[in-house]
Amino acid sequence: MKNTMKNIAALFLIFVFSGSMANAQGWTVPASAKKKQNPYEATSKNISSGKKIYNIQCKSCHGDPTMANMLPLAPVAPTDLGAQNFLVQSDGEIFYKVNKGQGAMPAFEKTISDEDKWMVIAFLRSFDKNKKVKQQVAEVKNPEVTDVKLELNVNEEDKTMLAKLSGLTDKGKRVGLQGIEMSFLVKRSFGYLDVSGEDPYTNETGDVQIQFPVDLPGDREGQVNMLVKVTDDAFYGKLEEARVVTLGVPTDPVNPLDERAMWGTRANAPIWIIVTFVGGVLAIWSVIFMVLFQMIKLPKLAKSKD
Amino acid sequence: MNDLPKQKETTLSFEKIKKDILHPMQNHKGLELWIVFLITVISVCGWAYYIQLKDGLGVTGMRDYVSWGLYIANFVFFVAVSLVGMLISSILGLLRIDWITPISRIAEIIAVAFVAVAGLVIVLDMGRPDRVLNVMIHGRFQSPILWDVTVITTYLTVSALLLILPMIPDLAICKKELTKASPIMKKLYNILSLGYINTPAQHKHLHRMIRTLMVLIVPIGLAIHTVTSWLFAATLRNGWDTTIFGPYFVAGAFVAGSAALIIAMYFFRVNYKLQDYITELQFDKMGKLLVAVCLVYLYFNLNEFLVPGYKMKTGDDIHLKELFYGNWAIMFWASQLLGNIIPIILLVNNKFRKPLPIMIISLFVLAGAWFKRYVIVIPTMLHPHLPIQNVPENFVHYYPSAIEISVTVLSFALVLLIITVLSKIFPVVPIVETAESKGIEVKIDA
Repeated sequence: MKNTMKNIAALFLIFVFSGSMANAQGWTVPASAKKKQNPYEATSKNISSGKKIYNIQCKSCHGDPTMANMLPLAPVAPTDLGAQNFLVQSDGEIFYKVNKGQGAMPAFEKTISDEDKWMVIAFLRSFDKNKKVKQQVAEVKNPEVTDVKLELNVNEEDKTMLAKLSGLTDKGKRVGLQGIEMSFLVKRSFGYLDVSGEDPYTNETGDVQIQFPVDLPGDREGQVNMLVKVTDDAFYGKLEEARVVTLGVPTDPVNPLDERAMWGTRANAPIWIIVTFVGGVLAIWSVIFMVLFQMIKLPKLAKSKD
Repeated sequence: MNDLPKQKETTLSFEKIKKDILHPMQNHKGLELWIVFLITVISVCGWAYYIQLKDGLGVTGMRDYVSWGLYIANFVFFVAVSLVGMLISSILGLLRIDWITPISRIAEIIAVAFVAVAGLVIVLDMGRPDRVLNVMIHGRFQSPILWDVTVITTYLTVSALLLILPMIPDLAICKKELTKASPIMKKLYNILSLGYINTPAQHKHLHRMIRTLMVLIVPIGLAIHTVTSWLFAATLRNGWDTTIFGPYFVAGAFVAGSAALIIAMYFFRVNYKLQDYITELQFDKMGKLLVAVCLVYLYFNLNEFLVPGYKMKTGDDIHLKELFYGNWAIMFWASQLLGNIIPIILLVNNKFRKPLPIMIISLFVLAGAWFKRYVIVIPTMLHPHLPIQNVPENFVHYYPSAIEISVTVLSFALVLLIITVLSKIFPVVPIVETAESKGIEVKIDA
């Protein structure tokens, strides 16, 4: 009996220990996976779409790259993905880890497309001090400009929107700025809805056109609050244009306080609760008043001696 | 010496019953001193309430987290105790259980006093008591608060009627016998006795009215404490969000009410020298009743704490751990053990159902019941679902301030004063019913 207990205890300890060993060793990535290279170029377009995906999928735990503002999880906090000691890994290693996950890190093998994952890796690489030169190569070169302007043209007829980004060169000539990602955002109840579509990058003339969704609810007149901006403030600082446009589907808002409900005002109390309350009060108090009325009879009964 | 008590019982006559019960009402020096003492306490504590009225509820210990503090716990306790009127004079009365005859009026007096002050406690808890009528004017049918105000008012009315109506024959006797009473009292007896001279027609008519009210008060009594529990259970907060809160409160109310009745019985028996009427039989039976209601309450407590304690779901776990072995453990376990479990163990033994021991045990049960209400109300308030960020230190703890405690003492003194005054102007033991139950002929002169 004693031995069995000992054995069980020993097995338990081995089990616990091996678990912690595996933890301490960290992630082992197969050599074949390590060799993989990012098939996408580190263009500013790819990097900025990588940033977009990063903000949606990774930021909530890992925080901003290089800012070390990750979620303080225990026992292992998420890594700062912009830190140099993370970026010493090959593209393939990062890709493998994103796919497989470990511990609190989910496996993204099936939830994010490979292309998107590579975009994120391209974005993270832009923080890599050793590879900075390489990522500049494919970038679109815009001339040095001042007085950058964002112009907005709304075509309410076919529900399209044209944004034009231009700047003033040192020769005093206004030129379109190419390859800059724009964000077309519609204000909803809680935050903004991105309606930018697949390819919201300015062309050689600095224009980008998007199709506004045909089924987006607006207010009674179909108006919505638009916010158009340059996605990444890093290029020309904060550039945005807010406008009320009549592109939404006219919708009568439903106020939950207008219907009869438990949360409603007194006037909108559910019928059954009013009936129960008033009915109960009337029933009980009519009996009470009946008894009070009967009390008046009592003195009279003294005289009718029988 | 040995056969004296027995002989005494056989020699009871209508005249002796009248004398025994009416005598202490007028010839009790201590009673007046006691009333003076209570009025002094009320005046001193009334000054504390004046400060609260002048400076606002900031003078209490209540802050943003604990906005229902000592006052509401006390309110729930008062409502609970008042339920004894419905239990004794109505439920047991309708079942025609005869040993309750001498104590049913005490039960009704307790009910009226406690429910009247319970309503007042709510007003004392208001920062702007001048707006109390807004509850009626603007109250929402969906809010348990409107239901609570309604049902407490109704219960007070019916309890007062159930105190007065069965007393009409006794009041007719008071009118004749209490010759030394002040003119105002004589007028009161005259009005309230409604010309009753115990004709068969009057007797029948009166008892039909009483029986109607006895039936009526059962649903009202259940409603008063169920609705009070809904004030808590209609929220999503941990510790209150439970489906059994209605019956749980009703069961707890029977415990508190029975204990209060036993204590009152003891003091009337001793001070009014009513040993021949409130006999050891009544204490024995009340002891058994207390065990029964305590067992029901224990059963509800098991369900109320064992089932969530087994699951320990998020949110509940903080609350329950605080109660089981955290900051509230002493109060929680003291109220469970001293206020429920140990009394059950003691009271199954008939030695402890003698007047003095059972009165002392009932004091513990009543104190336990009071602390139980405190443990129900405050710990839940200390753990909101959405805690405030950077919350000031005095939000996360609650200690009643001296003002709050004084105002609570005021409410207790007021209850005792109402009970004392009612027992001074009205016979605490029903004269006519006692005589009738002993087969003695009743004669009331016109």
